[in-house]
Amino acid sequence: MSGYNLERLNFLVVDDNKHMRALVKTILHALGSKNVHEAADGADAFKELRHFPADIIICDWNMSPLDGLDFVRLVRTGKDSPNPFVPIVMLTGHTEMHRVIEARDAGVHEFLAKPISAKGLYSRLRSIIEKPRPFVRAGMYFGPDRRRRQIDWKGTERRKAMLEAKRAAAEAPPEEAGGLSQAEVEALLGG
Amino acid sequence: MSADGKPQFIQPPNHVKDKVSVTSNGIDLDTLEKAEQLIAGMQDSYLEWVDEDLRKLQALEAQLDGAAAPRVQVFKDIFSIAHDVKGQGGSFDYPLMTMIGNHLCRYIERLGDAEPSDKNVEVVKVHIAALRLVIGQRMSGDGGKMGDNLIRGLEAAINKTTAAK
Repeated sequence: MSGYNLERLNFLVVDDNKHMRALVKTILHALGSKNVHEAADGADAFKELRHFPADIIICDWNMSPLDGLDFVRLVRTGKDSPNPFVPIVMLTGHTEMHRVIEARDAGVHEFLAKPISAKGLYSRLRSIIEKPRPFVRAGMYFGPDRRRRQIDWKGTERRKAMLEAKRAAAEAPPEEAGGLSQAEVEALLGG
Repeated sequence: MSADGKPQFIQPPNHVKDKVSVTSNGIDLDTLEKAEQLIAGMQDSYLEWVDEDLRKLQALEAQLDGAAAPRVQVFKDIFSIAHDVKGQGGSFDYPLMTMIGNHLCRYIERLGDAEPSDKNVEVVKVHIAALRLVIGQRMSGDGGKMGDNLIRGLEAAINKTTAAK
């Protein structure tokens, strides 16, 4: 059976946890990727980008000294950013609704909740491959178009998605309290 | 933003599309299944990694009994490790680690910056003990009845201290 061949893509994996980096690298290699570079925090990753032309960045949120969100902002709007348009997948255990919105507003393309799986990561990569989005410069925002649906904007969609996500979060089992599931995150982001 | 103040749309170069092709040896269901199996095969490595985290938690737990560091700071350090534990367990068929890690993170988060009380310390210690138990007993999957009892017990401990406030 045929499918996407990721062999030529350059990936940059940014996570302060070496075990998570190992896990993501293992998945990417299993999916056929050859060029996977690593960085332990946002500052390291930004340096790495100067000489490694990453096609997709997979980035954790909690890192120090430069966390994932600051890194995304730096990539998108930094004057010396090597590639402001590079697709970024935010990989994090922070799945609370306000966090998802914050990540989206910083300019991430996709959001993947930890713990991750090969299928979960591949679904986000597929989304980047199949649904390229224009970039928008509006007010303080610069990043991929946050309205991802292929239908006319009607003004109330975002609220509806947020309400759906809120309702879904309220109905989630107790162990999920405080965070959204991947499906809820996608509903919220309108994916 | 454009000169007239309206949002500006830019079509960026699509390097991803240029480099990705559909080939006969590309990613299909079989590839994904093999990738999942590869992760499952990393379970032994995971047990080593998580053991490292559990040792760090144990060391922090010991600090809660002394006056060496403010408890609130120790709780922040515990949160950071619990957050990693939460983010990894489910990938390696230890969803209980993710659930307990999540419970612990949410509990510490709710306490905010207030200096933790002895009761708060007790609850945190119970969570750390539960994490150790899951790994010690190799309670992969949902952990069966024992796993269920464990989660209920933790919820009861949290409810008890919340009600006692």
